[in-house]
Amino acid sequence: MLSGIRVLDLADESAWLAGKILAETGADVVKVERPGGDPGRVGPYLGEIEDPDRSLRWLALNTSKRGVTLDWRSEKGAAMLRGLAERADVLIETGAPGTLDAAGVGWEALRQVNPRLVYCAVTPFGRTGPRAQWRAHDLVVVSMGGNAVMTGDADRPPVRCSLPTAYLHAGPEVAAGVAMALWSRETTGLGQLVDISLHEIQLSTLVTGPGQHAHAPRRQRRTGAVMGRTREIWRAADGWISFGLRGGPARIPNLVATVALMDESGMAPEWLRSYDWEHYNHNTLSDEEIARFEAAFGAFFATKTRRFLYEEALERRMMLAPCNDAREISEQPQLRSRDLFTTVEYPEFATAFEHPDFFAKNTGPRVGIRGRAPRVAEHNAEIYAELGLGESDLAGLSSEGVV
Amino acid sequence: MGVFDGVKVLELGAGAAGPVATRYFADHGATVVRIESSRRPDFLRVLFLTPENPFGLNGSPMFVLMNPNKKSVAVDMSKPEGVEVARRLIDWADVVSENFSPKAMAKWGLDYESLRARKPDLVMVSSCLFGQTGPQRMYPGFGGQGSALSGFNQMAGWADRAAVGPHATITDSLSPRYVAFLITAALLHRRRTGEGQHIDVSQIETGVYSLSEMMVRFGANGEVMERRGNRDERGVPHGVYPCRGEDRWIAIAVFSDPEWRLLRRAMGNPAFSEDPRFDSVAGRRAHEDELDDSLGRWTRDHDAQELAASLQAEGVEAGPVQTYDDLLADPQLAHRRHFAPLQHAHLGELQFENYGIRLSEAPPRLETPGPDLGEHTRQVLGELLGFDAAEIDRLVAGEVLV
Repeated sequence: MLSGIRVLDLADESAWLAGKILAETGADVVKVERPGGDPGRVGPYLGEIEDPDRSLRWLALNTSKRGVTLDWRSEKGAAMLRGLAERADVLIETGAPGTLDAAGVGWEALRQVNPRLVYCAVTPFGRTGPRAQWRAHDLVVVSMGGNAVMTGDADRPPVRCSLPTAYLHAGPEVAAGVAMALWSRETTGLGQLVDISLHEIQLSTLVTGPGQHAHAPRRQRRTGAVMGRTREIWRAADGWISFGLRGGPARIPNLVATVALMDESGMAPEWLRSYDWEHYNHNTLSDEEIARFEAAFGAFFATKTRRFLYEEALERRMMLAPCNDAREISEQPQLRSRDLFTTVEYPEFATAFEHPDFFAKNTGPRVGIRGRAPRVAEHNAEIYAELGLGESDLAGLSSEGVV
Repeated sequence: MGVFDGVKVLELGAGAAGPVATRYFADHGATVVRIESSRRPDFLRVLFLTPENPFGLNGSPMFVLMNPNKKSVAVDMSKPEGVEVARRLIDWADVVSENFSPKAMAKWGLDYESLRARKPDLVMVSSCLFGQTGPQRMYPGFGGQGSALSGFNQMAGWADRAAVGPHATITDSLSPRYVAFLITAALLHRRRTGEGQHIDVSQIETGVYSLSEMMVRFGANGEVMERRGNRDERGVPHGVYPCRGEDRWIAIAVFSDPEWRLLRRAMGNPAFSEDPRFDSVAGRRAHEDELDDSLGRWTRDHDAQELAASLQAEGVEAGPVQTYDDLLADPQLAHRRHFAPLQHAHLGELQFENYGIRLSEAPPRLETPGPDLGEHTRQVLGELLGFDAAEIDRLVAGEVLV
């Protein structure tokens, strides 16, 4: 979809996903790392061999890109980046506000070189403002963004997801911002500055909560595995499942179906088998009644595996789903039937393994992973040839620490 | 000038994921028309049908806040004439974004294959929990499933407790960002080639793709990642610590020994921090429980906002755990004009929100609150589709436009 679009990806791991999305929808994405490789090339490593080219986080989030090394903080490096920017459509960077400007490769400098360039700056809080210089990785962004205070158990601190959701939300948001500026360029002929705040992105995970609160204040609480008044996460024999006791016409049939399944295992008490579901309303149940429901359903779930429960749920249209881990996700027949996973070859390490492929199923140009992530400096020769630099030039630049 | 001035988007569906995606266009100049019906109202409208709400389906603050700048056309799709109105709107549109279950559009003859013959340059996105194909595509979806099945639940919470999942249903906020991107990319492709396309998006799959690191760690090394509270693989200390007041907290993240020394200095070198066991990453990691305990005893007499500001001033990465009230008063969000008040006919002044993207030449606009159901039926059919008044009257009388 984006073929012909050249992206310079200077981002750190907070926006690696954005460049990956652009690459997997057709753009030519060139990752620009500092000499020696991006500091985000951390462990765990493929085969547990410490090597920046085996960093699994790197390999996961930089597929389909090419890669060069460049110290754009040096004078020569800055000139080379300006040369690359002249030939690019998009640049994505995640430096603290002012960092690239100080090196002479910020928005103001590069728009002089290439007025059509879309320059996307991704920062924790935005490029300007009273907290623009505050430092933040995922935990601080998620905490300040309003999500954490409601995530977790009431008797413990707010908690985050153990993978960086601030960055995962940012990936497609940055890709969308870039695409919007490219669309605008079709009419105006000019690029523009796209200023993206990770913090602000977090607020849309609250699905209008702040605005609703301003209208009718409500107390925010962490309720752990409980949603509203009733339990949402339950213990199965081998892990956790998601299942709601909430009523309403769309949901009651699933409660009836679940009780029928319990009955077949001899685990539906008499009061539950003869329950009057027509008038069930979880909002009007007393605490004792909720406890009685939870005890009955909970006792049943605890004796069954997640696999059994999910297979029965699919068969009987119960609204129940396992809290899947990576292995279980990789085994899901639904995902397999849609070819969500693709095997990426790593001939230099004599191995191959599966990645989730770009998920969209479209009738237009092919989308999807186009190859493994680049090794450190892998494409220096072919990319810098565009600037007229040959092997001996690069050797010199390398000894100076520029590439 | 809006980026999407002149772009015409038709939205069919309900809930959060669809409307969140089309707002990117509505906020940047596109004309976005929603088809909905009082016969089968959007559940975000229904959610607020309580005795305290005298405005019925038009009294849902959640719906109103989620759908600004859009036009609402009431159409009963169970009537053939209603489907015909929808078809006329599709003829008008550049983009159709729908998030029904897979069979709905086909039932009306509005599936992509049928529409493509009529309109080869149509850009259409169908987004639902499982996607348009596969053995589970018709399984009834609800918000919690997306989070559970794509791995987010399993990865959020404490190792010794039940999975909890990030607050709210994460795939409802994650997948619309992809949908907005894909629609824009498809528009770019159409502009270059004249070709439209259909894009099938599964919310669960947007989650799994986003969690590529987790899946690749399993694919490559067989590792099954587990949730670990606020602990981090690199940062230490890395956690959320109590502050003064009820349920007040501060997040602190230290990723290196120099950063630890900055924190120590910013705290005024309290005795616990001088323990040489904490000097190195390895030492802090080995005694992390004790470190977290001591740090939490130190933070708990401080105000979270003030402490975060003073730590940041010393170069330490820290931030208050913010509540809705904090967000509404956040000076950085105010600087970015994140919140913007709009007057709503029934609910009074409401605080609408902007997304995270600021384009230097085309800022987002917030002009009208989410519409009443059918508020723009006459306007859209008359002005955009060229129906004459008598024809509209006839469709109203026939209870098609309800």
